[in-house]
Amino acid sequence: MFKFIKQYADTMTSANIYPIISLFIFLVFFVVLLVMVKKMRKENIAELSNIPFEKDELTNSNL
Amino acid sequence: MQVEKFYYDNKIVRNFAYATVIWGAVGMLVGLWIALELVFPVLNITQYFSFGRIRPLHTNAVIFAFVGNGLFMGVYYSLQRLCKARMFSDKLSYIHFWGWQLIIVSAAITLPLGLTQGAEYAELIWPIDLAITVIWVIFGWNMFGTIIKRREKHLYVAIWFYIATFVTVAVLHLVRSGELPYTWLRSYSFYAGVQDALVQWWYGHNAVAFFLTTPYLGMMYYFMPKAANRPVYSYRLSIIHFWALIFLYIWAGPHHLLYTALPNWAQSLGVVFSFMLIFPSWGGMINGLLTLRGAWDRVRDDVILKFMVVAVTAYGMATFEGPMLSLKNVSAIAHYTDWIIAHVHVGALGWNGMLTFGVLYWIIPRIFKTELYSKKMANNHFWLSTLGILFWAIPMYWAGFTQSSMWKQFTDAGQLKYTFLDTVTYLRPFYAMRSLGGTLYLVGVIFMIVNLYKTVRSGKLVADEAAEAAPLEKEYVAHKGEHWHRWIERRPIQFMLLSLIVILIGGLIELVPTFLIKENVPTIASVKPYTPLELEGRDIYVREGCYVCHSQMIRPFRSETERYGEYSKAGEFVYDHPFQWGSKRTGPDLAREGVGNLKKPNGWHFRHFRKPSSMSPGSVMPAYPALLDDELDVSNTEAKINAMRTLGVPYEKGYEKQAIADLEKQAKEISDNLASDATPIIISPKREVIALIAYIQRLGTDISKNKTATTNQ
Repeated sequence: MFKFIKQYADTMTSANIYPIISLFIFLVFFVVLLVMVKKMRKENIAELSNIPFEKDELTNSNL
Repeated sequence: MQVEKFYYDNKIVRNFAYATVIWGAVGMLVGLWIALELVFPVLNITQYFSFGRIRPLHTNAVIFAFVGNGLFMGVYYSLQRLCKARMFSDKLSYIHFWGWQLIIVSAAITLPLGLTQGAEYAELIWPIDLAITVIWVIFGWNMFGTIIKRREKHLYVAIWFYIATFVTVAVLHLVRSGELPYTWLRSYSFYAGVQDALVQWWYGHNAVAFFLTTPYLGMMYYFMPKAANRPVYSYRLSIIHFWALIFLYIWAGPHHLLYTALPNWAQSLGVVFSFMLIFPSWGGMINGLLTLRGAWDRVRDDVILKFMVVAVTAYGMATFEGPMLSLKNVSAIAHYTDWIIAHVHVGALGWNGMLTFGVLYWIIPRIFKTELYSKKMANNHFWLSTLGILFWAIPMYWAGFTQSSMWKQFTDAGQLKYTFLDTVTYLRPFYAMRSLGGTLYLVGVIFMIVNLYKTVRSGKLVADEAAEAAPLEKEYVAHKGEHWHRWIERRPIQFMLLSLIVILIGGLIELVPTFLIKENVPTIASVKPYTPLELEGRDIYVREGCYVCHSQMIRPFRSETERYGEYSKAGEFVYDHPFQWGSKRTGPDLAREGVGNLKKPNGWHFRHFRKPSSMSPGSVMPAYPALLDDELDVSNTEAKINAMRTLGVPYEKGYEKQAIADLEKQAKEISDNLASDATPIIISPKREVIALIAYIQRLGTDISKNKTATTNQ
């Protein structure tokens, strides 16, 4: 397996494709993340962000 | 549902808090000492306390002892409360605490003794590396054990940062510690030259990211809402902050190697991702600061909030500056100068220091069930630290910029305007001012120690703090249309694996091609392995930490090629285990010290090591009289040659048997040459200084031997 990858990498003419691939992976990752987060429900968010607090502890809760 | 009663372990939090304070003061004191060594070189008392050996002690103490204990304090306090559970095992907590302190003590002993691997922030020798691995696993085991037996279904954002810290530091440490031991204290890096450099700065940069940043962001997300008594500004933003930050950070390492012999594509990758890092970093800063919305009036009176606000602001400044410094044109000016030192201290003193202080002032009165002894004293501490940071950073920014422009200036006749020594003597007042800033900061810490001591005396530790919560329901009923992130927030192991995958993408794409594709490191026919004497000399160079002040990497700028000679090529370093490119020029570059205009007689080097200012008036380099007295230890020469051969250095089979004879022959030539000096120097060829001179005289000679040397490109 490793040998196969090495042989392939050895014969690559240029590594310049790597930055482009990387940028593409990140963009896809980021856009998916953004869409997912946008779709979260407000009540859930409020509940999650109050985890550090005990009941009745908070004077400025989002709940 | 039946509520369960349980107890939080505050004793372990107290232990880590004490360790944070004590090691913090020690680390800063060593920092002040080395700062003063650059103003008064006479403070380099004996080889054990010379700048090259104790500067790594300072960086290791501040990173792993001060911030390390600080992050464990924060994690052990907040994790228990966020999971509504006591730590998984008191025994593991105990082993973790004492194991970590033992590692710190062994670092404090070995570094002044010159036992080092010669890689920044990864100096510790291989047995300590092994101990770090064991203790880190124990920390992770204890953390995941706690998470698994938690009573709160969802993992709060702080815990994600802790998980990412654990998993990434483990990967970084394992890869960076790739080394081949040749005695029970010493080893050579698996990697050489360009590859070693890439691994080093992939590690070095991510040590900043995942040891100094992510755990502290986790602490910010817990302690800032607690101190402000209001939830984090935007939980959505925290999700984006987390994933984008850990994804991007891991790629940014090559920005430490711009304009070096690292392949261009890797440099570009580093620049692009470093620049993008500004977005999640600032997202996090804004999220932290806006948590105080509607509570800004309290910042005026609440000293803990003051510390936190300055900490988060310093984080914002450092993470704005970082991406700017990663641009090639800015790096061309800032790299190798004190600007970088200023940059890291805004992070260390501002972000890590101030957040640690805020958290200490918050935790100690709570676990001792008492009030802080003196708010006024804490306020004084705040102002001393804030002023200390300014007095520290401003002179160093100024120094860095001045240094760089002096290096780059030419006269009308086209010659370099300043010698390197001109810049050294010019900078001494700035170094003195920096020491003043450090003193202010340290005095502030002493205020804090007194204040916390009095606070502790006025209360009593609640070693086991009672709490109660309902156990988790066995069957979790998911909400309709539940979001994927809520799903993963309930599953710590899957969360860890996902974080691992996210950080591995960047690491693999950067590292693998550099290791596998031959064209990335063109070989040069005339570059040959070091002779045994040069190899021994090189090990002394590493032992004394010369790389702390001297680079061996000439960038392709006219100002550098005029001063130091031909720019450095990747193929010149293929036998350098470890690489010694350095990152700072307190002294000049040494890559071509053995050739061209820079070549000096052996006698010059001998006198220079004995007393640098005798050859370079105004030099701040430590004197090395011990090198003139100590005999070169050749008992490991054979093992070294064997180890190097295993790592791929082409010493012929059986050469180790001949190595000592060759070493003695070359040493004799140098000592004979010294004896024939105009003012004869009579010294035994067996002294360490002879080996070091041999190594220095070798530097840069390879490619000048054969100007028409061909590369395989």
